Parts: sequence; C-alpha cells; structure tokens
Amino acid sequence: MFHLGWFCNFSNPPWASPWSSTEGADWPTGEAHVEFARSLERACFDYVMLEDSSMVSDAFEGSSRVDLKYGLYAPKHDPMILAPALTDATRNIGIIATCSTTFYPPWLLARRFQTLDHLSHGRIGWNMVTSSEDRAAQNYGMDTLPEHDLRYEVAGEFVEVARQLWDSWEPDALVMDPETGTYVDHTKVHTIDFEGRFHRSRGPLNMVASPQRHPVLCQAGGSPAGRDFAARYADTLLSAETHSVEAMKAFRDDIRARMVAYGRDPDELTIMFITQPVLAETVERAEAKKQRMLAGIDARIESSLGHISALTENDLSQFGLDEEFGDLTTNGHRSTLADFMRAGRTPREAALGWSMKNVTFVGTPDSVAAQMGEVMAEVGGDGFLITGSITRRFVDEITEGLVPALQRRGLTRSAYSGGTLRDTLREF
Amino acid sequence: MFHLGWFTNYMTPAWNKPWAGNAGRTWANGDFYLDMARQLDRAGFDFVMLEDSTALSDTYGGTFEAELRQMVRAPKHDPVPLVPLLAHVTRGLGVVATCSTSFYPPYLLARTMSTLDHLTNGRAGWNIVTSAGSAAAQNFGMEDLPPHDERYEIAEEFATLVEQLWDSWEPDALRVDHDTDTYVDHEKVHRIDFRGKHFASRGPLNTLPGPQGRPVMLQAGGSPVGRAFAARHADAVVAIPKGIEAMRAYREDMSRLAVEAGRDPEAVKVFYIVSPIVAETHEEALARRDRLYGLESERLERRLLLMSGGDLDLSRFPLDEPLPAIAAASTNGSQSILQTFLDRAQGKTLREAAVGDQTESLELVGTPDAVAGEMAEVMAEVGGDGFLVYSGSGQLTRRYITEICDGLVPELQRRGLTRTEYASPLLRDNLLAF
Repeated sequence: MFHLGWFCNFSNPPWASPWSSTEGADWPTGEAHVEFARSLERACFDYVMLEDSSMVSDAFEGSSRVDLKYGLYAPKHDPMILAPALTDATRNIGIIATCSTTFYPPWLLARRFQTLDHLSHGRIGWNMVTSSEDRAAQNYGMDTLPEHDLRYEVAGEFVEVARQLWDSWEPDALVMDPETGTYVDHTKVHTIDFEGRFHRSRGPLNMVASPQRHPVLCQAGGSPAGRDFAARYADTLLSAETHSVEAMKAFRDDIRARMVAYGRDPDELTIMFITQPVLAETVERAEAKKQRMLAGIDARIESSLGHISALTENDLSQFGLDEEFGDLTTNGHRSTLADFMRAGRTPREAALGWSMKNVTFVGTPDSVAAQMGEVMAEVGGDGFLITGSITRRFVDEITEGLVPALQRRGLTRSAYSGGTLRDTLREF
Repeated sequence: MFHLGWFTNYMTPAWNKPWAGNAGRTWANGDFYLDMARQLDRAGFDFVMLEDSTALSDTYGGTFEAELRQMVRAPKHDPVPLVPLLAHVTRGLGVVATCSTSFYPPYLLARTMSTLDHLTNGRAGWNIVTSAGSAAAQNFGMEDLPPHDERYEIAEEFATLVEQLWDSWEPDALRVDHDTDTYVDHEKVHRIDFRGKHFASRGPLNTLPGPQGRPVMLQAGGSPVGRAFAARHADAVVAIPKGIEAMRAYREDMSRLAVEAGRDPEAVKVFYIVSPIVAETHEEALARRDRLYGLESERLERRLLLMSGGDLDLSRFPLDEPLPAIAAASTNGSQSILQTFLDRAQGKTLREAAVGDQTESLELVGTPDAVAGEMAEVMAEVGGDGFLVYSGSGQLTRRYITEICDGLVPELQRRGLTRTEYASPLLRDNLLAF
C-alpha cells in the first residue's frame, strides 16, 4: 500500500477554465476548499498540504502585471486560517499548513499549531519552509532574505525552540483535582530557557499539551541543506524529484541514509512524490487531453514564465521566447530552477517542459492506477502527492475515478483507522 | 438603543463550580465556545471578543503554582484559529481576536486579519493590545517589554502600517475578466513602501480586500496614551471606569479625543464591562452574588493574581496592612487597571481592597427585569454606547451564558433597548447602526 496526499494552496482556483464555475471570485470564503477537503476524505487521503508564500511578485518585467493578471502567486490567503475550517468539516484527513521559519516568531507559531492540534483532535501538520523571495522578506522589513544555507541554520534552531515549547507541559499536567482546588500541577510545567544564535525563548507555552503534542512536521526542500533538514526533523517529505523512477529511488535512498546518520528510523518519514495525473475514459482521450493542456500553456506562455520568474526571482522576460538563456542562479527555490533548466534551453521550451513536469501518468483510471503501483513498487515507497488545478471536475476525476481503481488493486487505503495524523502516516 | 458585546478568552471555563459540567476537560476542542457563539448570535450581540495574553506568568510569588491552580490567565490558547469556527456557526455575530503589536510581524497580522475577514464574511475584528509583563516579552526573545508609552508609539506605527496594507488593493482590483484574460487589474494594487522607526514593509498585501476592507479595530487601553491611540484607530473601545460619573466622563473624553483626531465621535463606540447576576428573585440574585464572591480565601488570591499581571508581585505585601505608596505609572503592565485598584486600596488593607474588587464598571444584580431597567437608566445617563458582558474570572458556565442570553437579553429586547436582528452582514455596519 502507498499513501496519498494533495498539494494545493489557499488561493484562487483556476478562474478561466471551462469548469471554473464562479470560484474565481468566491473562493476567499473557504467554502470551495471545505468541499474539496470532504472529497479527499471520502477518498481516504492521508492529508492535504496548503502551500504558502507572502508576496505579490514583480520578478517578470519588473511589474506585478503578469502575476496579478493571471492570478499566479497572488492573491494567496493565510492557510492557518483555512486549516481550522477544513478540520472542522472533516474527521480523519490531516491538514498541513505552511509557515515560514524566516518570518514567524517561534513562540507564536508553536502556540498556533498546538491550538490547531487541539481543534483538529490531532490532525494538524506544519510544512516548514524558509521562504525563497526577497520580495517576501521586504514585506517583513528585511532588505533581502538571508542566504540559502544560513536560512536552514536559522530554521534548525527554530524547530528546536518549537519542539521544546511543545514539550514544556508534560502530558499529565492537567489534574483537575477538586480536593486541592488544583487545575494544573505546576511541577509538570517547565520553562525552556532557550538561548540560541538566532532565537531566544523562556517558555513555557501557556497551553495544555495537545493530542499529538508535536504537529506532524512536513518539508519540501530538495537541496542538500533541505534534505538534511528533512532527515533530522520531518515526518513527511514532498519531493519533486520525479523525472525518472531512478531519480525517485535515488532520492528516497538518500533521505533514508541521512536519517540513519541522524539515528532515526527511516520508516518514521513518509516521502510523497508529486504527480499530476491526466485521466480520461480512454488512453487516446487522455493523450489528447494532455496535448490540449500543452497548447493551452503555449497560448499563455507568459503566465508560465511569470510563475517561474516569481519562484526563482529571475526575470525571464529579458530573453526572447526562443532564445537560449544560459545559466541562471537563485537564492530561492534552487531545485525548482534546476528542474526548469533541465526542461529546456529556451524560455518556451523550458516553460512547456516545466509546466508539464508533474504530468507523469496519462491514461484511464485503471491504467494509471496500474502504473502508479508499478512505480511505487520499484521506488520502494511511500506515496504520491497529487497536484493540479482544483476544479471540482478534476477533483472528481481523482476521487471518483483514480482512487477507486487504486483501492480495487489494494494500493491505497479504503478506510481510516481513526488515530492522529501521525498514526495515519505510520500505519503502513 | 445600545450595543452588547461579550468578553471572553479561549481558556478554561469554570471547572470546579456548580454547573461547570465537563468543560474543564473538554474546552480545548472548541465546542464550548461554538455553543457560546450560537447563543450570542441568537441574542443579537454585536460581537464576542476573545482576549489573549502570551505568557504563563510567575510574577505572583515567583512560581507558576498559584497561576496554574487558580487559572487566572492560563492555560489560554491562541484565539485566532477559533475565529473562523465561531463565524461558521453564526449569522451576524462579530468575532474579535486579540493580537499584540509587541510580538506580531505587521505583515503577518494584516494578512491573517484580511483572510479572517473573508472567512467570516465581513465579521472579523482585531483587538489591539501592546501586551504586559516581562514573561511575555521573554517568550519572544526580548529581555523585557519596551516601556509603556513607547509600546504605544510602536503600536501607532504598527496600526498605521497594517491600515496601509489593507488599503493596498483598491476595492475593485478583482476583475475576473475572461475577454481580456485578466484576473486582477495590477494597476489597482499598490506598494506601500512603509519605512518607520520600528517597522518597514514594501507591500502590497497578497490578499484580496476583505468584505469590510479593514477589519474592525477594538482597543482597551485606558491610560492617556491608550485613549489617544484608540481615538485615532479604533471602531470601539472597552473600558472599566467605576460608576456612572466615571463612565460618562470616559465617553466624553473619547468624544473629545476623536474630534481632536479628526474623526466623528459617533464612529468610536465605548463598551463598559459588566458582570450581571440575574435570578428569579432579587433575594436569590443577592444570595448568588454572595456565594460567588463569598469564598474569601479563593477570591482573595485570584484578585491578587489578576493585579499581578504586569511585573508587580502583590504576594510580597502583608495582607492586613495598607499597601505602601506605589505609582501605577512606575510599573510596566496594564497601568489603568492597576491604578483603579490602587485608588480603591487607599485607606484599606490589601485584603479588604482585593476581596471587594470586581472587574466591572458597576454591579448589576437582580431579576432580569430589574437589571434590564437599570441598564437602560445607566446608559441614558452615560450617553452610550453599550455593555461588554463578562462572566467574571473563573465563573464562566453554560448556565451563565444562558441566563444572560435567554433571561436578560429578551427583557432588553422587549424594552426596545437592544437589537432583535442584524441589520447588516458586516460587523462595522452593525456597530455604527445606532
């Protein structure tokens, strides 16, 4: 068996597709996302992960035109506010929200996640990011982001503070003893007196320990520093290393070896490979659908280039569409930029390749289910993270088409066992 | 007509009192507060305000012992994630969460509040506090809080910055125009390039403008700088002046300050904290009050803990002697609350001062009918604008909520004193409706 998750964000669903309904304007109420989470729970997904970022990008042409015209990076709303609405509407699926170790005060973050863990009965997770854009840093009063590897050092210390704060109340501190009129036993609540290079906090939290105590920790960085960070701390890891089965396997083996080096059991980490299945009634129709997607991307090529410009803070408008761009560098999403350069040598070629990079499975629900099973058997685990534009129609294709086919093959779960999110991840 | 608000926090309700049920063990899952919100919504309250603080205090006696036994300020959970849930089960009730200008990054707060305004369909509010006590500061890596008046200087810059972020998208920036393939018109989204003494932010915000544009802003600081700050930014203020005279003076002072700040005094509503005790008969209500306030040993410590919220440890003083002269302004906590207490303590022993003290503007005890009548008279004399109902520290039960919502409020509604339905889906409109 393997695991299923879904990657999305609290932003506008596709607004210009034939299946957008009125969600382009209505999504900020959160109601569409609530329906979406219910659908994923029906299909027994382990979790939905809400990505996040904190800026309106002007990387492309030095203007916010492309970012806002197509609704690419912005608008994007605070996922920590959507999270309780999603857990409230569901009973088993985990909700993982993204927060940046570069911008949050650790005490605030530790308390917010522990509160969400209570409200969700132990189904909350934190996707730990270090942020990747100077524009975001400038919204938070910095001139630029700290350098890439330094950000991971800061993040490591941040997670240490948070974990100590989550442990600052012993699980049995709440005694409620009417005889002595004692609500909490103060000998089971401790200061942490953390003094680090980047962070300080006295503690304790002012909260009762929650069902999971530590929320599930999720991470997505593919760079060496990012992999190392995941190997030390993460319960689940998202990977975009999906260009070949060998690459997936090499990635998984690398992470597991790093975990062993840190003295962790490699089975404590669930690696989820990102994929965007293209499904139809027949294999031919699915292929035709993929070709329509490609044509659509080509027709709006500046949208893709705007997106990759925002992610890597490189202005791709400076090159002709069919002109070779040479080597690019970034202080932001390094592995994303590497994927982009691998996808082609001209902006058009690279944008088409990059936009379709997650399209690794094309076919009928049954043929795709079979392929996913084969790939996972070769890689060794642990699951797939579905991504793609969340129109209700696409969600239906996954939850009412692909997942039942996977379940019939015994490849994904047909029921939850009812524990916390961490229990769900470690069930197999 | 006057307004009603409800003061609470996302913390342990009463647990070892009559009618406490199992709330002491189950409150953290939020259900208690969801039920409360449904009741308040039915009774037509303008808003529920979720107070907050960010430390487990050991000021009193230098340990967590008394604080955790009595739970005066802790455990207390983050009110922000509770807001969308309360809004989801209600139709017109505003939901106001407290966040501190001393600890939040302004961009984060502006974005969180904007997201909340969308999820509540325009019923979100921010209660602005500057925090109190060095323990809170030390959780956030500071040695101590900035001095009281400097905290307000920082808050002023903070509030100005987040207002600019909320205004960084023009209301009609969202187009969703299929003909020109345009989702948002980028010419209606602007940087703010804010550079102050304490904060900087480039902007714009990356959220669509919420239904209210700016979420409602509440403020509770009663010190001179706190009031001046409120007059510039707040839609409503929370106050605890003692007695009708002081209440009227407070309302007049806020009007004067609002005019000085170039605002319509009617746009800044004043809510006075009260803890009505209602029962079937006047005698029963009095007996209830005496039972609530009568347990001297428990009550004494609770009040002393409450007044030790900043950095003044009242456990250091003998209980049966008058307090030595202490200047509230020399402490770095909630100065106006402490000053009120110290004024009260004049000529009394510490025990006498603490036992008789209550966090309310005036005592309201009686039948629903009698208390409703008294509230009407008081409000007519004070000149507005409403009451903020507070169960009292450690006294919150489902039965108390029901007594207010099903007993007192219907009496107020029969007299035409409070609303029977929400005129607008937006919190600010409801606040300004009368």
